[in-house]
Amino acid sequence: MFSKYLFVYKTRIIRSFTYKFEVYGNILMQTIIMITTSFFWRALFQDKAFGNGITADSMMTYTIMSSVLSVLFITGVERRIQESVEKGTIAIDLMRPVNIFGMFLAEDLGSITALLIQNLLPILLLGSLLIRFPAIVSLSAIPLFAASVILSMAINWLLAAIFGMWAFTAISMDPLYQAKKHLIRLLSGSIIPIWFFPKRLAGILNLLPFVYIYQLPLDIYIGSASNAEIYSRMLIQLSWVLVLGALFYILSGKSLKKVLVQGG
Amino acid sequence: MSIKKTYSTLAHYLSVTIYSIKMALLTIVEYPSNILGWLLSNPIQFLLGFAAIRFAVEQFGEINGWNYGQLAFLYGISVISHALSMIFFVQGWFMGFYVIEGEFDRFLTRPMSVLYQFFFTNINVFGLTDLIPGILVFLYGCVKTDFPFTVTNVVGILVMLTGAVLIRGGIYILLGSTSFWTKSANDFGQFTQEIFDKTTMYPLSMYPESLQLILTFLIPIGWVSFYPTSELLGIEHSFSTGNMGVWITLGVGIITMLITGFVFQTGLKQYESAGN
Repeated sequence: MFSKYLFVYKTRIIRSFTYKFEVYGNILMQTIIMITTSFFWRALFQDKAFGNGITADSMMTYTIMSSVLSVLFITGVERRIQESVEKGTIAIDLMRPVNIFGMFLAEDLGSITALLIQNLLPILLLGSLLIRFPAIVSLSAIPLFAASVILSMAINWLLAAIFGMWAFTAISMDPLYQAKKHLIRLLSGSIIPIWFFPKRLAGILNLLPFVYIYQLPLDIYIGSASNAEIYSRMLIQLSWVLVLGALFYILSGKSLKKVLVQGG
Repeated sequence: MSIKKTYSTLAHYLSVTIYSIKMALLTIVEYPSNILGWLLSNPIQFLLGFAAIRFAVEQFGEINGWNYGQLAFLYGISVISHALSMIFFVQGWFMGFYVIEGEFDRFLTRPMSVLYQFFFTNINVFGLTDLIPGILVFLYGCVKTDFPFTVTNVVGILVMLTGAVLIRGGIYILLGSTSFWTKSANDFGQFTQEIFDKTTMYPLSMYPESLQLILTFLIPIGWVSFYPTSELLGIEHSFSTGNMGVWITLGVGIITMLITGFVFQTGLKQYESAGN
């Protein structure tokens, strides 16, 4: 039953290796972000440490790992829906004997698999060479980190898919993509960790799904939270996966009925 | 050429410019939902972006001698100059597409200078949506730093912004002009913006000296906001501009544009129509 999706997945990996500029472009972009951000933290921290024992060095690790993780959060589902609605190929996609969202997920997983070699590895290498080697706080943190990254990817993809469903009704999506991108970038701790935010604001953000994309795995990685705290936050993370999963399930049924087909 | 003829040529160019602005404004009516979307997304980017920096800097009091009020001032200037450069010169980002799609044919067949047409008749009203958050953060910075709005200071800010927009626009179109030779449509827009953001929104002094030197003399990004702003706010740094900072910015802007104009004209000779 899964072989169809496995085929889509494999095709996508092969296809990914043909687009060169986009791939190098992202490495360049992440390198710029890593280097400039690391100078920002150095200038800000000097030799001081922040309340939870964080130093400039842990911020370097935070910054590099944030760039590394960003590769796992690249999704094509929104654009894919928009393009197939605009070009009218959505009609063909719907005729295929697969679940359309299953296919989109397989495509995204295929792209990410290719990006592990094309992007994640080079970014990790460049970060280690140009800034510092981003060592994990302790080996025992690895399983927790891995588990929370998988949940992060689920939250990120579900948000993208739910968001992308708007495109079924053929409205101009570009500004909305940008808005979503900036919200995730700024409210997830991807660049500036939420623990710098005022307590009340941080409290609110901890209830929203965004911090469970970047902040939680990064906190586990650099060891800026106690184990008890991490367990309780992973529980919230898991809850968000379930909530978004349910929402996705309900909306995907509804939105497919509203598809507007134009062009063709 | 007689004075009369020169005058009529200038009047013609002026009227074309006014029509371009009118046409640009009409695009607001054409895509109302689109502009509403940008009105939502750009303020999110810049207001939240500044808030996040402020929260981090507040924990430590300052960064390289800049408190968050002064940072707001710098950030505001950076975003305002970004917005203005988006209004007038965003086409530099898309020059690759102009070249491979053969879009310059349109400009070449018109009885006007191609340089003028390309530089001054592409007005992008969507840039206005960047201007709003820029002005807001800037005014916030003015309040926090008790910035005195004297005549000298107001003139200084206007001169600085003019220079800053010329530097930004010059660099966008200079980079874009490489497409005349490479004949490819690689879009450098987002990289350029990321680099400009990171080097004009934060004090340049937080970077290592070698990088500062490059960003002062080779790629004149330091003049966009850092040097003139530190002078206006009276913040000291290793490189003295002797009270001339805003004027140097204007001068650097004009020089950048002249170089860009020259490269553009040279590149245009390489242009061969493509597509159909």
